[in-house]
Amino acid sequence: MTPIDTSIYAAVSAAIRAEAQRILTEGQVSAVVGYTAARRKGSAQPVVITDANDAARLIFTPACVNNLAVYLTKAKKEIPKKGRIGIVVKGCDLKALTGLMGESQLKREDLYLIGVPCAGVLASTFDPARELTADSIAPKCSECDAHLPQGCDFLPPQTPATPALDRKYAAEIARLEALTPQERWAYWKEQFAKCIKCYACRQVCPFCFCEQCLCDRNKPQMVETTPRPAGNTAWHIVRAMHLAGRCAGCAECERVCPMDIPLNLLNRKMAKELKELYDYEAGFEVNDKGPLTSFTEKDDQSFIK
Amino acid sequence: MHPDKPKHAFEPKIIAFVCTWCTYAGADLAGTSRMQYPPNVRVLKFPCTGRIDPVFILKAFQQGADGVLVSGCHPGDCHYIAGNFHARRRFAVFRKLLEFVGVDLNRLQFSWVSAAEGGKWVEVVTELTEKVRAMGPMSEFKELALEEQWSGAINTAELKEAYNQI
Amino acid sequence: MSRIGVFICHCGENISRTVDVERVAQQVGRLPGVAFSTDYKYMCSDPGQNLLKNTIREQKLTHVVVAACSPRMHERTFRKAVEAAGLNPFLCEMANIREHCSWVHEDKEEATVKAVEIVGMMVERVKKNRVLPTITVPVTKRSLVIGGGIAGIQAALDIADCGHEVVLVEREPSIGGHMAQLSETFPTLDCSQCIMTPKMVDVANHPKIKLYTWSEIELVEGYIGNFQVTIKKKARSVDEDKCTGCGVCMEKCPVRKIPNKFDCNLGMRPAIYVPFPQAVPNTPVIDRENCIKFKTGKCGLCQKVCGPGAVDYEQEDRLIVEAVGAIVVATGFDLYTIDEKPKGSMIKGYGEFGHGKIPDVIDGMTFERLASASGPTGGRILRPSDGKEPKQIVFIQCIGSRAREKGISYCSKVCCMYTAKHTMLYHHKVHDGQAYVFFMDARTPGKSYDEFWRRSIEEEEAVYIRGMVSRLYQKGDKIVVQGSDIAVGVQVEIEADMVVLATAVQPQKGADTLAQKLGISYDKYNFYSEAHAKLRPVECATAGIYLAGACQGPKDIPETVSQASAAAAKVMALFSKDKLEREPIVARVREAGCVGCFACKKVCAYGAVEEKEIRDRQGNLIKVVAYVNPGVCGGCGTCQATCPSKSVELDGYTDEQIVAMIEAL
Repeated sequence: MTPIDTSIYAAVSAAIRAEAQRILTEGQVSAVVGYTAARRKGSAQPVVITDANDAARLIFTPACVNNLAVYLTKAKKEIPKKGRIGIVVKGCDLKALTGLMGESQLKREDLYLIGVPCAGVLASTFDPARELTADSIAPKCSECDAHLPQGCDFLPPQTPATPALDRKYAAEIARLEALTPQERWAYWKEQFAKCIKCYACRQVCPFCFCEQCLCDRNKPQMVETTPRPAGNTAWHIVRAMHLAGRCAGCAECERVCPMDIPLNLLNRKMAKELKELYDYEAGFEVNDKGPLTSFTEKDDQSFIK
Repeated sequence: MHPDKPKHAFEPKIIAFVCTWCTYAGADLAGTSRMQYPPNVRVLKFPCTGRIDPVFILKAFQQGADGVLVSGCHPGDCHYIAGNFHARRRFAVFRKLLEFVGVDLNRLQFSWVSAAEGGKWVEVVTELTEKVRAMGPMSEFKELALEEQWSGAINTAELKEAYNQI
Repeated sequence: MSRIGVFICHCGENISRTVDVERVAQQVGRLPGVAFSTDYKYMCSDPGQNLLKNTIREQKLTHVVVAACSPRMHERTFRKAVEAAGLNPFLCEMANIREHCSWVHEDKEEATVKAVEIVGMMVERVKKNRVLPTITVPVTKRSLVIGGGIAGIQAALDIADCGHEVVLVEREPSIGGHMAQLSETFPTLDCSQCIMTPKMVDVANHPKIKLYTWSEIELVEGYIGNFQVTIKKKARSVDEDKCTGCGVCMEKCPVRKIPNKFDCNLGMRPAIYVPFPQAVPNTPVIDRENCIKFKTGKCGLCQKVCGPGAVDYEQEDRLIVEAVGAIVVATGFDLYTIDEKPKGSMIKGYGEFGHGKIPDVIDGMTFERLASASGPTGGRILRPSDGKEPKQIVFIQCIGSRAREKGISYCSKVCCMYTAKHTMLYHHKVHDGQAYVFFMDARTPGKSYDEFWRRSIEEEEAVYIRGMVSRLYQKGDKIVVQGSDIAVGVQVEIEADMVVLATAVQPQKGADTLAQKLGISYDKYNFYSEAHAKLRPVECATAGIYLAGACQGPKDIPETVSQASAAAAKVMALFSKDKLEREPIVARVREAGCVGCFACKKVCAYGAVEEKEIRDRQGNLIKVVAYVNPGVCGGCGTCQATCPSKSVELDGYTDEQIVAMIEAL
């Protein structure tokens, strides 16, 4: 399989370490959220460091898959809120942070953004020590248009490799769109039926920041909570709708799903529709309003009689 | 009384979510004008289409609706300034989602019916009823509801391996 | 446990003809929670309502469903009856089995089955209904009027005459607006100043009117009954309390050659000035841009000659906050200057007609100043270029108006009439002169209007040419006007001494900025939008704000005055109660669930959603949540459908109520 050049990651890691150490030493930030090596060979895990000496633990490798934005949201309450916080962000992660700023969940001035020039990370199904190739790359990276996050406080100068890859979601969406409604229903029925309602997708999603999820309510019960096919289907439809116009495409939901439900496919489909209908895409600019909290008088209404 | 009236094997259940100022009033006008339409529709009144949550449509299908109609004021006529504009975007997106998961969009109709359009109300309701009647019952969600547990195949190597080890 | 009473109305035979009402009552009576169920001939009649009231008391009903006609017809009736029996009116719902059932179906079996389901749905809904107390909002019985033209003056006087205080804000140094500039007014030709200035004086002397001239609206906060308005009182450099209006300062001011805007720049004024002799207040203002004292620090003559010592060079802009309960917007119009294409405007301009380049091509308002007895020429029609009397004068109508290709598609409404008036004034003043009018149509609806227009042709000898002018150019001291007479089908060429353009009426500059401060909507031309074109023509969609005059669209004086009085009547209706009552169908935020994403705020068309800080006892900020101001909320529920966690709920249309209905199906 065609390897993807990740040789810059060593230099990027060094730059991240130096910057994290500097801002912690200077007291610019109270903590830095980044990645560090985990126990399994080649694997990485999120880490929150508050001591400048720990900056040496920071790394960036193809195994740094997590979207760290989730640790800054209210629902997760992972990091005590005190002063400015540094965070290591790939382009896709920064889009999520940008969305969170647009939804009043974070303030730019409370963040110190350490950008990552990113050629891609590994798909979750591969050994973390494996080489990054056109085959082993995460599907989201195959469609990435944000290898360089924009507007960071610090961005290492390296230029990542950006080989053209087969767009995996686009291909799968096109395949499904070509099917009949019955065939699509059968496909999704099988997918949703697998769901065990562990809510890992909700837990990992930066935009699922509600403290009380609609789907946990019982007066009225909007969505059946038991892991049965009916409730599962409703849950995933409601989740896709709630993310429409907000999802930044980090694909964490899909990565963490223990049942391998292609959740990001729904989100990519919605993103595609929003692009076509309202020319909206998640990006690096904070918008006052999202595509579903705004309108124009000339919006398409060809579907309305 | 009406010996010619055809009896159908299947009578669809149609749920209509309408705004109170335009479409509900339009349906009232159809009544005061003594127009006739199939009795399959059940109307739920909202202040504005802006209040209609996509979850209600999902819920309606889950509760056995064979067709769903969402109807409100024409653009620019919203009693609440802009509720229908927000609804228009919301439903433009939601119907694409439903379509993608395999709901036949012929079962989901959107319309603008003003307080003066009793005739259009009759037309929209009649057309949807007949279309859905021809399509037969909406069985997808009902079947789902009958299934007790996950029926998905164990289709990944990892899962199969894990399952075999149990 | 709810004890629901269900009342099925026969509506004479209107319902019972196609719906088996007894069967409906029976079947519905078996639903859980239904304690009582009956059918009755006419529920809305007195005995019907008594049956309802008595049953509520006797059966100790907790909720009521009346299955009858449309709630749009009788919901209020039955809710009142329920209230009279001691229940909260919002515990009563109507099931529409007439308009939506008996009248639209013929098959009795089908209609009966449908009626049972409709009533069943409402039974499930009403179980989830909550007691909703009527919302009352206190009303500050003071009103703000923005704009001191005839519209604002009329509204202010009407409101003040009813005993309510009025704060009148005018941007210019004097009130009076455009009407004070006019010479005579159609269709009666009374002198504008003669009918206007007494009203201006009434405003100045009215004990209930607080007048702020040379002032602008800075900020508007609050909502119906409770606005806080910040007014910027620009530095006048003359103390209004001390100034006696003697005018010595103006006489002594060494700067004399500043074109006076009030006279359409035909006359000159000093740097310390009142725009016109009848100005109210009669207190001069220093034009700091042209004053020698402000430019060089020298001079100071006006201060020296001012007996009462009113001239104050140190004066600064002041911000004043006024609390009011209602706002009348009467900012009026402006004439479109057709010189060239204004920057950033969708309007293309009429550069080809030479306005601004050929001095004797003027607009209608300039002609008014020429014809005005108090104008720069003392009422003589004289050419701006050489002061000669024009013997041939051409009026061109529809300049800008009704010209879609030029960017304005509306009719400016007053031009046909004022051009007819101009031809008359011209003929009265230049007996041997000839007036020509190029026009598309003559639009003269209005009392005595068409007669007036006919008079300009039949008695005052104006020549009306149906057609537009294609070209206009200076030739010697003449202006050659080439156009076509489409009625006759010939080309026309007139060598005119003067040309008057009836330019389009446009909203005042800055109308959009003011609208944004007020939170009212406006159209693409910046005219303010009324709540309903036919039935609520003087109210804005934003509660508590009313419109008067040409800021809403082109209007003549009688129409403007009518609308101003109508707006005043609306304000008085609002002030007739100490508290404002409104239907409690408003959104409420469940603060525990709100994460402060403010999607609700983004979609709220009323600006009803505010940000509220939640703090612990030590005063530490816990979180910021949404708060819906019940005085402002319109009750559409768009916020609820948008809220991801459903932490905002529209009372009367809660998710519980709606899901109960869906689940009843």
